[in-house]
Amino acid sequence: MSSLLEIKNLSIDLHADRERFNVINNINLTIEKRQKYGIVGESGSGKSLTSLSIMNLLPDALTISSGDIIFNGETDLTNLSKKDFLNIRGNEISMIFQEPMTALDPLYPIEHQIMEVLKFHGSYNKKQMKQLAVEMLEKVGIPRPHQLMKEYPHQLSGGMRQRIMIAIALICNPKLLIADEPTTALDVTIQAQILDLMNELTDTYDTSILMITHDLGVIAETCERVAVMYSGEIVEEADVATLFKNPTHPYTVGLLESVKTLGDKSNKLYSIPGNVPTPKQLTGGCRFASRCPHAMEICRNQAPPLFSIEADHRSKCWLYGEEEVVNG
Amino acid sequence: MADQQAVLEVKHLKKYFPIKEGVFKRTKNHVKAVNDISFDVQEQETFALVGESGCGKSTTGRSILRILEPSEGEVFFKGVNLLDYSKREFRKVRKDLQLIFQDPYSSLNPRMTVKKLLLEPLLTHGIANKKEAEQKVVEIAERVGLSKEQINRHPHEFSGGQRQRISIARALILNPQLVILDEAVSALDVSIQAQILNLLIELQRDLKLTYIFISHDLNVVKHISDRVGVMYLGQMMELSDTEDMYSNPLHPYTQSLLSAIPSHDPTIKKERIILKGDVPDPANPPAGCPFHLRCPKAHERCAVEKPAFFEKEPNHWVACHLYE
Repeated sequence: MSSLLEIKNLSIDLHADRERFNVINNINLTIEKRQKYGIVGESGSGKSLTSLSIMNLLPDALTISSGDIIFNGETDLTNLSKKDFLNIRGNEISMIFQEPMTALDPLYPIEHQIMEVLKFHGSYNKKQMKQLAVEMLEKVGIPRPHQLMKEYPHQLSGGMRQRIMIAIALICNPKLLIADEPTTALDVTIQAQILDLMNELTDTYDTSILMITHDLGVIAETCERVAVMYSGEIVEEADVATLFKNPTHPYTVGLLESVKTLGDKSNKLYSIPGNVPTPKQLTGGCRFASRCPHAMEICRNQAPPLFSIEADHRSKCWLYGEEEVVNG
Repeated sequence: MADQQAVLEVKHLKKYFPIKEGVFKRTKNHVKAVNDISFDVQEQETFALVGESGCGKSTTGRSILRILEPSEGEVFFKGVNLLDYSKREFRKVRKDLQLIFQDPYSSLNPRMTVKKLLLEPLLTHGIANKKEAEQKVVEIAERVGLSKEQINRHPHEFSGGQRQRISIARALILNPQLVILDEAVSALDVSIQAQILNLLIELQRDLKLTYIFISHDLNVVKHISDRVGVMYLGQMMELSDTEDMYSNPLHPYTQSLLSAIPSHDPTIKKERIILKGDVPDPANPPAGCPFHLRCPKAHERCAVEKPAFFEKEPNHWVACHLYE
């Protein structure tokens, strides 16, 4: 059985000031069918860019400089024409964003926005579309769906809007749902509702999820596999349980440590010193070296490849230099 | 905490925003953003206000500093009611009370260098002459972890975490006693957030500061605060010592809030109370208990009668009919 999505050696460059800066450096990841895959990282780590590149939605200043994104074992998304991509986007792969207010069109009622997807990707008459839309709204837990179809986005709360986004994203029964910080703008009680709903729906629809978030808690709650990104690279990849129990990359260790010491008042909160380097500040070595407590001579001069720690657990760190190299 | 003295006492604070409609802009209704809340803050403690968006926690902070004039109530700072001062008199007291905002980019003037930004409060309050002031600027900048060279730069040259350091320096340069931190670390990444929280804790200890820490992040609040007040729809639902609150939450709202925090251990599956629906419209709050529409334990009385805020256990206050 082939994987649903394979990202192979993907690199993305930014063109600015007549120069090229590398923002995504040679990342590899594989999402299996029905898998819940998480990418976690801080702002500027490249997690959103990765998702935008899958959807072919990169801004003009950014280009894919190398690599393939293979969907369903056959289609290379990086080579698709704009026209062909329309059949994929919203139909096979759909996406929900952090801020549902900006993702919904303020000028049209909800009805219009849900049915638009069906009009585009399906062949239904108006009555069928309406029927499907109402059913979908019911599935995402919206009370009085008939009435709500006529309402506009500004009349709804943040949690409701995110439910509508999920309804729009899932109505064509996509194979992959990309969720880019879907609950970051929401309050915790609403976040719990939405995560619950996403888990439930993707199970019933057999949809894979790519969850992009900065919140390790959200990863722990929803995902099966996780990639940790730092400064445009995947620094560690493992099963969620393994990563939380046995993190290997110093950055992952630091992140988990700062989350775990939070709330323990007897100790000083663990913090990673320094800041994320900007693309202009990058040197040849490991991108985390300047903040790493274990940095060695080699780290400053030579970028580490991904080493295989054990089956399905990879770490981009020279500390594991004796292990087998998975990928340069 | 009997030996400590309250620095700030908030009594029956209310802040209503009028909703105006029609040609003559007549006031039709009010949004009761803060609806009769009382609490006190002890010297050198960190008092946290938590709640979801729209619960009135920021409005409370701003009403204390009279950035928003409160509609009713009293705010005693070291025994004197701040609301009795005229605007001019209040400015003199204002230097003892400082506010730090969430987004350091929008609260720092982009056209001023860090040095100018830090000098401004000193000169406005006429505290030091130029030479002393400049000395002070260098001191405070170093205190918050900025180098001498960095103070000649503009805010856009700094990262989010460092900008927040500038905001902290700017608030602390006047030697305030009470600092209100309104979501001060919410916009920062985890690794940077930890740096800033450590800095805040260190500064509090060294400079004997009192904090009011406004946040929606319950993990951060657990770490930094001594006491917590939980707000919902402009009202205080529960107030107690932090440890007590996290180990023994009384109010159903607090219980569901705490259960909604994602756990950082994938092997533990938390027993979760998932609330139905959203926070009601504050312009049109429900009768009775403000939480009863979403409360898993609501009964008939909750819809009719508003529960009193009372001390259920020593130092543990709650507004819920379940405990009366």
